[in-house]
Amino acid sequence: MQTPQDSDSLQSSRSGKRDSRRHTPKANMSGLYQRAIREAFIKLDPRTEVKNPVMFVVWVGTIVTFLVTLDPNLFGTVQADPGQQRLLNGLITFILFFTLVFANFAEAVAEGRGKAQADALRSTRSDTIAHKLLPDGSIQEVSSTELQRGDQVKVVAGDMIPADGEVIKGIASVDESAITGESAPVLKQPGTDIMSSVTGGTRILSDELILKVASDPGQGFIDRMIALVEGAERVKTPNEIALTVLLTVLTLVFLIVVATVSPLANYVQAPTTIAILISLLVALIPTTIGGLLSAIGIAGMDRVAQFNVIATSGRAVEACGDISTLVLDKTGTITLGNRLADEFIPVDGHTVEEVAQIALAASVFDETPEGKSIVILAERNSANINFNTDDASGVEFTARTRMSGTDLPNGKEVRKGAVDAVKGFVRSRGGTIPVQLDAAYERVSRLGGTPLAVCQDGEIYGVIYLKDIVKAGLRERFDQLRRMGVKTIMLTGDNRITASVIAEEAGVDDFIAEATPEDKIDVIRREQAEGKLVAMTGDGTNDAPALAQANVGVAMNSGTQAAKEAANMVDLDSDPTKLIDLVTIGKQLLITRGALTTFSIANDIAKYFAIIPTIFAAAGIGSLNIMGLKSPQSAIISALIYNALIIPALIPLALKGVQFRPLTADQLLRRNILIYGVGGVIAPFIAIKIIDVLLPFS
Amino acid sequence: MKRFDVRPPVLTAQIAEDMTEIWSEWRRQKLPLYLFLGLCFNLVLAPAVFAATGGEMSRSQTYWLSALGLVTIALAIYLFFVMFVPEKF
Repeated sequence: MQTPQDSDSLQSSRSGKRDSRRHTPKANMSGLYQRAIREAFIKLDPRTEVKNPVMFVVWVGTIVTFLVTLDPNLFGTVQADPGQQRLLNGLITFILFFTLVFANFAEAVAEGRGKAQADALRSTRSDTIAHKLLPDGSIQEVSSTELQRGDQVKVVAGDMIPADGEVIKGIASVDESAITGESAPVLKQPGTDIMSSVTGGTRILSDELILKVASDPGQGFIDRMIALVEGAERVKTPNEIALTVLLTVLTLVFLIVVATVSPLANYVQAPTTIAILISLLVALIPTTIGGLLSAIGIAGMDRVAQFNVIATSGRAVEACGDISTLVLDKTGTITLGNRLADEFIPVDGHTVEEVAQIALAASVFDETPEGKSIVILAERNSANINFNTDDASGVEFTARTRMSGTDLPNGKEVRKGAVDAVKGFVRSRGGTIPVQLDAAYERVSRLGGTPLAVCQDGEIYGVIYLKDIVKAGLRERFDQLRRMGVKTIMLTGDNRITASVIAEEAGVDDFIAEATPEDKIDVIRREQAEGKLVAMTGDGTNDAPALAQANVGVAMNSGTQAAKEAANMVDLDSDPTKLIDLVTIGKQLLITRGALTTFSIANDIAKYFAIIPTIFAAAGIGSLNIMGLKSPQSAIISALIYNALIIPALIPLALKGVQFRPLTADQLLRRNILIYGVGGVIAPFIAIKIIDVLLPFS
Repeated sequence: MKRFDVRPPVLTAQIAEDMTEIWSEWRRQKLPLYLFLGLCFNLVLAPAVFAATGGEMSRSQTYWLSALGLVTIALAIYLFFVMFVPEKF
């Protein structure tokens, strides 16, 4: 049974893991706040302010209060002393002005962090001299900006890779720390779906590579990243648009209400001034969320970038929060991915050495980690290559045949692969299936491993046990997702028994065994047809259609260019498990926006009780002044100061996000209403009263 | 009698050029046009407000008050516009 202590330690270790995965950007954040302060004033330009309807109303209000500060009798003769009235109007103008500045500052800070990251990326994108390979085989030195898609270039140790591309020849280690922050070099080689793509701006550390350029000038991966992180391509997400409409409706309603207050006030013999009416309007409209809305969205992108994931749009980040189905690959996502050969199980009277010999022959041309591990295990079992490899030919694994192997110089065919596929191959060669094969297959499957049968022509020699290990802590994370209403589906090319064992161990909700690449897109379409939003990860070219079909497609940076172009997010660390973190970040973004909207609207109650009773005290509603505020002037100024100060006070929350808890939608709603709804009602009562006490008004 | 054109031809061309530029800017920038039309309309509206207040307010006060009314209406129209095409904002 799990004790609370266990739960706490689990929680802390999990958050520790999450933090360790968090990328510390090399972006220069010094001077961020000074730049943001300058930007906050620049953004006072009406052409910028008009894009935020709530703050634009405050902007117009500030201009009008400024006019009545210059001439208090501008819109009608004021009863009070003009000097005092000018002072009050001036104070109101000053506070409204800083309300605008604070709202702009919140946005500028969020944008500044993105721009700093973009600058860090831009520093990696320097023009370099590329060695372009001409059709006649000669090399021409050209600027990297002149390279076109399809050009071939040669890079040697020490060179900067001039453009995004695919490795077509050579093996070399590449330092990708400029974009991933990971200092360990990455091995790049051609032919495989993964590890064959390189990114412009990274540096080759050893050997040499021939690359085929995969992007046109200015359209490279880093160029696109800069544009996105900088916010140049930022467009409002559907949720942001819906919230903008809601805030605009509220603003319009309050504008009409406040515009009609004046005749009402005159009727009850409690005339008000234009400055006080504008104060009432600004206090009632949702300035808190209006000022922080764009900062919350930008910060969401920034949080994703801190996890070393580049999102192509805010829409994609937001979609993560609405995800209801996660489609996960088994290998690399749920299991550690480096499946290694652990045992040879002979059948039909063969010896372990014989199985090792055939397995070695079938794996000579296999460059995958699994293939290489088979070679090592076979050599450990005294197997050796007893044929001339130059005369033999390799047979590559395909999703259709689900086998790979070698055609030997003596005409014999050795194969290894999925047991069913090898059975079919053996039958096609006139062989028979040994009875022990199914027992060996089942034994490996029940251990959660992958059984690979090995055969030579029509004779099956045995089974290779590929050991697979489920990643630690996944069960708890899938439990969290389940509590949030997110369904997890595991896809694997493995047989049903292995898949069920791994699915049981990892705690996924559903699994699809013996899956082909086409099954991925089918399962996504089926879930989407039920009205669900689906997220998936992928790295291969064959994943590209499914990545494009999914609502959130996360491509691995080590994957092919096609996968990266089809996806709406790219994980620079190539860690498929991060999809779970992305769902958390997306939900955090939506929760933060909801929480601050609730808080902003709940604040109205206190502001209403602060201003209305004092304005209409002459009409006999002075008893509604439950806060006992000193005077109408003090009440209005206190409410406005609170209104202005709450924006910078909430900037850290908007940027960091509300703490995420794995709860159901109903539980989250109850929790939000309790904390941000009730809190939003109580907090301003206390804050306005304190400000009122501190103000030197009588 | 022979007539002399005392205006230098360069100046005429300059004026024509300036007029063209003002006209093209006028066509391009809508905000000054709307402001101008609003202020003109206010000249019509202000006497009505003056009459309605029964002389309690000066002419300049009624002019500014009616301008404020127009600004309020313009803000309401702007907010309606945001409601119907929010993706532009």
